[in-house]
Amino acid sequence: MKPDALLDALGATIVGQRATLEALLHATIANGHVVLEGPPGLAKTLACRALAAAVGGTFKRVQFTPDLLPSDIVGTRIFDQRSGEFTTALGPIFANVLLADEINRAPAKVQSALLEGMQERQVTIGPQTFPLPDPFLVTATMNPLDSDGTYALPLAQMDRFLVKILVEYPDAEEELAILARFGGDAPTLPSGVASMEDLRRWRSQAHAIFIEDRLARYIVAIVGKTREAHAYLDRGASPRATLAIAAMARARALCEGRSFVTPDDVRASAPAVLRHRLAFNYRTLTERVPQESIVAELVAALPVP
Amino acid sequence: MLASSAHAQTLARLHIHAFELSSDKTAVKIGEPFHLTLDVHLDERVASLDNVQLPSLAGFEDLGDERRCTIAPIGTDCVETLTIDALVPGDRTIGPATIEFVDGATSRARSRESNLVTVHVSGTAKVAADSNDASDANDVRQPLWDLLWAGVRGILIFALVAVALWALLWGYGRRPRVAAPAPPAPPPSDPPAPAEVAWEQRLRELGAALASEPTRERAVAVRAEIRAHIGASERETLADLTRRNAAAGDTHVMAALVAVERAAFCEDADVADAAREAVPFLTT
Repeated sequence: MKPDALLDALGATIVGQRATLEALLHATIANGHVVLEGPPGLAKTLACRALAAAVGGTFKRVQFTPDLLPSDIVGTRIFDQRSGEFTTALGPIFANVLLADEINRAPAKVQSALLEGMQERQVTIGPQTFPLPDPFLVTATMNPLDSDGTYALPLAQMDRFLVKILVEYPDAEEELAILARFGGDAPTLPSGVASMEDLRRWRSQAHAIFIEDRLARYIVAIVGKTREAHAYLDRGASPRATLAIAAMARARALCEGRSFVTPDDVRASAPAVLRHRLAFNYRTLTERVPQESIVAELVAALPVP
Repeated sequence: MLASSAHAQTLARLHIHAFELSSDKTAVKIGEPFHLTLDVHLDERVASLDNVQLPSLAGFEDLGDERRCTIAPIGTDCVETLTIDALVPGDRTIGPATIEFVDGATSRARSRESNLVTVHVSGTAKVAADSNDASDANDVRQPLWDLLWAGVRGILIFALVAVALWALLWGYGRRPRVAAPAPPAPPPSDPPAPAEVAWEQRLRELGAALASEPTRERAVAVRAEIRAHIGASERETLADLTRRNAAAGDTHVMAALVAVERAAFCEDADVADAAREAVPFLTT
């Protein structure tokens, strides 16, 4: 089984959104978590559900709200009156794919509980520590159009997400295809396309993909460029971004059937890794400069090795 | 050259990523039409681009131009294609094109120049239709001669098409219906221009050098030379070059570039094999 078969299966369920599905697959192979940002109704939830179904994994969805508690995510201990003992009820975080819908609508303590699990890949409830399933992928969504009553995630927490994927509106042809495919019935999810063992094997293969020295320097230079003085940036990306670009570039190379990374892999992976790690200053708002164009400019500024 | 402050207020605020001039041929004969393309890629979504100064076309005849802007989900790709032919022989350098805009990154008015394009022109000089050097007698005779030549050319083309059609119908009637018609004989091609011959020779030399020294350093050098030949900027990746058809449809050169790129970036243990596998793309 090869990753492109999984991509094709996801593409058979979701109309268009090829770039989103590719980035989602690359992040999954790179063993990272994903932020999906886009207006409502663009099949973000369906994409995550389809991914979990395609690899035979479990899928849970949590709608983040202001009154959510950490125990609603990780689980809690319940006193059993019959046995006279505490038992542990595991929360929805114990899934292969967890969709944290509108993550910025829950307060910081809930976000922290989730992000801790993402980082440590284990959760402590009372005196007991529970490992999370492997693979474990968190896909968090954020709606960029409606920010009233939200709690913005600090940069340090955003840094835990490997990539931020921008989900765009479909074009007219794709929307017609959506109308034809989803006019009445619920979409059919792919199943049995790959296994979780396949996913783990791809992860291991991606880890062994070769990055030539000049390309490694290129990745470091791109991240370093974000730390230089810039009219629209207060702060650049951390070394975690360097590791993330390398991981995403390796996953992309694997999906394209190569055992080595090329400059195109780096160039294609960098924007999704950097866009949520940069601290844009007020001038981007007052001058209405698209943040995406700043990211693209930074990535394109360096000569290709 | 920066725009004056009054003029600057009329300029659009843009983030320009690419402003590239390219030609679909590097060697032409006098009177042979070819395309000069100006590619502009910017982040903003615009319907058209103003304040673009096209390159001077002294020594060339402008046969027409086409301008279109395609708005993508992020940004716009504008392409201006000039169809021109050369009037005088020699190595002719075209460019640069210039655009004036307010740089979105610095908020300052600036102008940006494209790269230059060099085209080798062979043959004997042609008198341009609007040339001031031609005598009055020539001015009168030239259109008549052109008219006569166009008529003769039209008759010849008509006769050739009629003969070809007759031959096709005659051959079709005589053949069994199951057999596929034989492909027509390829028309005699013009001998390649000197620059093309020189480049093909150079590719063979690069291939021979890579065969005798199949190392990463050699592959990197070969890759750099091919990229320079097809006018790749230092910020363009292989995907960028493929997207903008930098090799002007020359699949041979692009295949060679893909092969040497593999040798330039693959694992150390595979470099020699990858370099040897790239050699046939350079030498055949």
